[in-house]
Amino acid sequence: MNKKYSAYICTGCGIGDALDIEALSGVVSGEMSMGCKTHAALCSADGRALIENDINSDGVNTVVIGACSPRVMQDEFNFGGDKITVRANLREQAVWCQGEEPNAEYTQELASDYMRMGCTQAKKTELPEPYKLETINKRILVMGGGVAGLTAAKEAAAAGYEVMLVEKAASLGGKAANWRMQFPSKAPWTNLENPSIQDLISAVEADSKIAVKTANEVARIAGAPGNYSVTLKAAGTKSEWDAPAKVTADEQDKIDKGEMENPNTGLKNYMEANPAAEKYGAVVLATGWNPADVSEFEHLGYGKIDKVVTNAQFEKMAKDGKVPARVAFIQSPGGEEHDKDFPFCNSVTSMVALKQAQYVCADNPDGKAYILYQHMRTPGHMELFYKSAQNADGIFLTKASVTGVEDNGDGTLLVSAKNTLLNQDINIQVDMVVLAAGMVPTTHDAPTINLSYRQGPAFLDLELFDGYADSNFVCFPYESRRTGVYPCGGVRKAATMEETIDDATGAALKAIQCIESADRGVAVHPRSGDGSFPEFFFQRCTQCKRCTEECPFGALDDDEKGTPQPNPTRCRRCGTCMGACPERIIGFKNYNVDMIGSMIKSVEVPDDDEDKLRFLVLVCENDAYPAIDMAGMRRLGINNLVRFIPVRCLGSVNMVWIKDALSSGMDGALLLGCKFGDDYQCHFVKGSEIANKRMDNIGETLKSLGLEPERVTARDVAINEYHRVPEIIKEFVDEIIALGPNPFKGF
Amino acid sequence: MADGIRIEPDLNFIRYMKSAGGESLKKCFQCATCSVVCPLASDENPFPRKEMIWAQWGLKDKLVADPDVMLCHQCGDCTAYCPRGAKPGDVLGAIRAYAYMSNGFPQGLAKLCSSGKNLPIMIGIPAILIAVIWFLSGGMHLPTKEVLGEAGFGHFFGEGMSLGGLLTKNVTLIDMIFLPVAGFALFAAYKGAASMWKQMVANAGGNDAFRPSAKQFVVDFLWPSIVETIQHKRFNECGTNQNRVQGHLPLMLAFIGLFIVTNYAFIVKDIIGYWVHGLHGPISQMNPVKILANVSAIAMIVGVGILWANRSKMEEEQGVTPTFYDWFLIGEIMAVGITGLVAEITRLIGIPVLAYLFYYLHLVSIFMLFFYMPYTKFAHMIYRTVAMAFERYRESGFVK
Repeated sequence: MNKKYSAYICTGCGIGDALDIEALSGVVSGEMSMGCKTHAALCSADGRALIENDINSDGVNTVVIGACSPRVMQDEFNFGGDKITVRANLREQAVWCQGEEPNAEYTQELASDYMRMGCTQAKKTELPEPYKLETINKRILVMGGGVAGLTAAKEAAAAGYEVMLVEKAASLGGKAANWRMQFPSKAPWTNLENPSIQDLISAVEADSKIAVKTANEVARIAGAPGNYSVTLKAAGTKSEWDAPAKVTADEQDKIDKGEMENPNTGLKNYMEANPAAEKYGAVVLATGWNPADVSEFEHLGYGKIDKVVTNAQFEKMAKDGKVPARVAFIQSPGGEEHDKDFPFCNSVTSMVALKQAQYVCADNPDGKAYILYQHMRTPGHMELFYKSAQNADGIFLTKASVTGVEDNGDGTLLVSAKNTLLNQDINIQVDMVVLAAGMVPTTHDAPTINLSYRQGPAFLDLELFDGYADSNFVCFPYESRRTGVYPCGGVRKAATMEETIDDATGAALKAIQCIESADRGVAVHPRSGDGSFPEFFFQRCTQCKRCTEECPFGALDDDEKGTPQPNPTRCRRCGTCMGACPERIIGFKNYNVDMIGSMIKSVEVPDDDEDKLRFLVLVCENDAYPAIDMAGMRRLGINNLVRFIPVRCLGSVNMVWIKDALSSGMDGALLLGCKFGDDYQCHFVKGSEIANKRMDNIGETLKSLGLEPERVTARDVAINEYHRVPEIIKEFVDEIIALGPNPFKGF
Repeated sequence: MADGIRIEPDLNFIRYMKSAGGESLKKCFQCATCSVVCPLASDENPFPRKEMIWAQWGLKDKLVADPDVMLCHQCGDCTAYCPRGAKPGDVLGAIRAYAYMSNGFPQGLAKLCSSGKNLPIMIGIPAILIAVIWFLSGGMHLPTKEVLGEAGFGHFFGEGMSLGGLLTKNVTLIDMIFLPVAGFALFAAYKGAASMWKQMVANAGGNDAFRPSAKQFVVDFLWPSIVETIQHKRFNECGTNQNRVQGHLPLMLAFIGLFIVTNYAFIVKDIIGYWVHGLHGPISQMNPVKILANVSAIAMIVGVGILWANRSKMEEEQGVTPTFYDWFLIGEIMAVGITGLVAEITRLIGIPVLAYLFYYLHLVSIFMLFFYMPYTKFAHMIYRTVAMAFERYRESGFVK
């Protein structure tokens, strides 16, 4: 693309009052040698006409807009897919954050630097060219034939997609096929319903777009969205195409030296293509859950007393015949020690107990069901279900710490409970005890998804989610750490059938979104529609494998030598590989090491003024950047010696940018990102965590150069913590002011 | 062996409660809003929250031995504030109804009075009994206007003397009906109250071997409770249904007034009349006792009328459940008042047929009021007073 530039400065929203616009235009037209026009309201029809006129009559195709934050007015400043628009944030991050005592000179310098950076970015950026697969496969693989899988298959087929449904068991239906009754699914939300699973099975079996394979399971899934190669096998058998276990670089060394046995002996290499494999575009993972083992809670007698059963066993009894007349339902195993419910139960087991208690009353005229809970969780409409169950004569509820279950020896059991609502310790004589065992996701105990990826067959870091396959529950439901694989139902959380049906519908839509995005060569999520993708300059690759290891999404496989093999349709365009690469051979058309480096270097650093220090802040554009904008909108006042540059993710920050900043005389650099760890908020799961690790390492490098490691640091801020932004910046700046200016300034 | 108390819910109790106005009892989810608004509740005694869960769990033994249930005067605050529509006030009413029934002596009669279905029998017993006696007495014919004016209802059960000239036939028969009824009711009430007291003592952990003397009981526990009741002290603490005092107080004073009048009439007509003849006619309207009687009768009708209106309003506005237990007493007292007043007025203006008819109905309704007193809501006068006495007893050295 032959770029023709033009810059525009908006003087509205207070920008014109706070800045010397003529001088600012001078910076653009002088230093940056770019034509520069001003307008009182660029986002108005008149303002846009000014720009469009230049585009149409002068052939301008790269526009720099010095106005508001790039987070707003995106439609107004969209001049078409074949034009490049770069935004310089003069409003929120320069004019509006001056604080109560504006310093016109400093603000002018700040705005000038933003225009310099904007013009530099315009010069360095290119239009992305989407990555297209040679052939796209739009068929969807659904793993699991329970409520979730059946629903996902049905919904995907209804949307016009071919589906293959693979079920491990000999027949469809999953766990739901064993229920005697189901929770209410409609108003008045009080009556149990007859099982509906047969209707769902019939609908799926009758659907010409859905192929069903029972008694089969997935051996391995190789490839990438739009082009998965899936090998199936008979359930419970072994195959040479089983997905190989993960082998780390260290382990591979040991295997090579003969110090360790290769766990993948007899299996095909993960990169080897199976010619018999079937092709799919995306995968819905609906492998569900297994009933939890509750024998660890010894005081409750499971495994020792045969009248102590789990809720799953009780359901089967209820389906097969009559249940006993006096039954205690124990919801929480902690006794007097803690009030946690059984693991993996979420709110489901509360409602299961309310359902099964009704069996007791239905089967016995004088049935008595005791529900001893620490928590009664009945979300949404199910509150009405709870109320109706509570209203039954024979259902007795109390919060209680159940301390023991004893066998009376006469066929009855004695349940002891303390801390009850009856304000006394109680004993209840019953015929049976039902424990509210949880629903353990299949991913807890086995890889399940069986990916043939460099990073191994399973989802990563599942311990963060107690084994549930998920990426970020709140922000990105259905998504997993593997693009193209969409978990739903019991594998994602302990859910009711109603929730599962919603969930499976969502996952089916997500799978379709993935296939269509792959077809257009754009990112699926969270940067939906992004046409850029990381490109590798392989001649300079040293096979260090950092990119392959660090990619949060396992997008990179490798060959025998360790050269990365990109799978752009697995990629989420976060740039973590770019940040990782010590050779700086990875970059995007519109986001690369050179571009950000040049922007940093374009900042004017006075080398003769001890007051005018300069600080670089690389800002996560997903959470921290909006927080800074909001601080500006609320006129909170931010130190005007700092220069903010948004990055796709802190994981994409290449440490050479820090060196660029310090070597150009800037006095410090800060990475401002999102929270990481157990409650991480990173859009790309690992980015901020990786950035923090890298910052620890760069501290060492700085020390060896004779610079204080404190000059470079990382902080986290949540998107709603805008009020903390000024303080975070001030602390950072004050610390470096105390250290004094960068000693290399002016070299 | 596990420590703690063996719990055995009674499903029949729950079913009874639901049929007797407590159908909302299972809705309680123990948030304790009721205990926050209830003037009877203290930090250690979350009333009526604990009663609600006992009721839900069908623990009737704990409830009938709980004096708090009797101390509640159904001010309605708990029901008004309950976020779940569990109507604790109604549930407590049903518990009291159950307690009157379960403590009632004899049980058959107590059970008869526990359900509106039995109302025809409850009316039938006195209606037939009195009609038969009336028929057998030979008085079952209409008097002339003059006889009515002169003798009043003195010839209702026939003319002449009986018991060998000791008393008039009329007085003899009235005494024969009502003295045993009153005596029986008092005895039954005593049996019921004693049964409740025993359970309360057992529940409170009192020592049976160390009991107050009768005098101590009356002076220390019973009398202060009666005084407190008459002053309507606790009633005045009520929030939601403050104006019930305006109904209950005149009603209670009316009963005291009529109690005095009845005793006066009994002494004058049945005892003094033994020696002095001519006292058997109607008492003069100028007699202070007659004035008291008339004032009381009007106070009674007005008082019960206010309670009637109040209850209707509670049912309409607060969703309080209408029950036989509540309406029987209101209807009964209203019947006593209206029949008495109409009988008196028609006697004075001289309409024999109406006067005799209403006098008959008046006798029937009075019979019902006394006879069923220990088992219907009227029993609160006994049980509640005893419970208040127990409350004092519980705080005394006999228990603590």
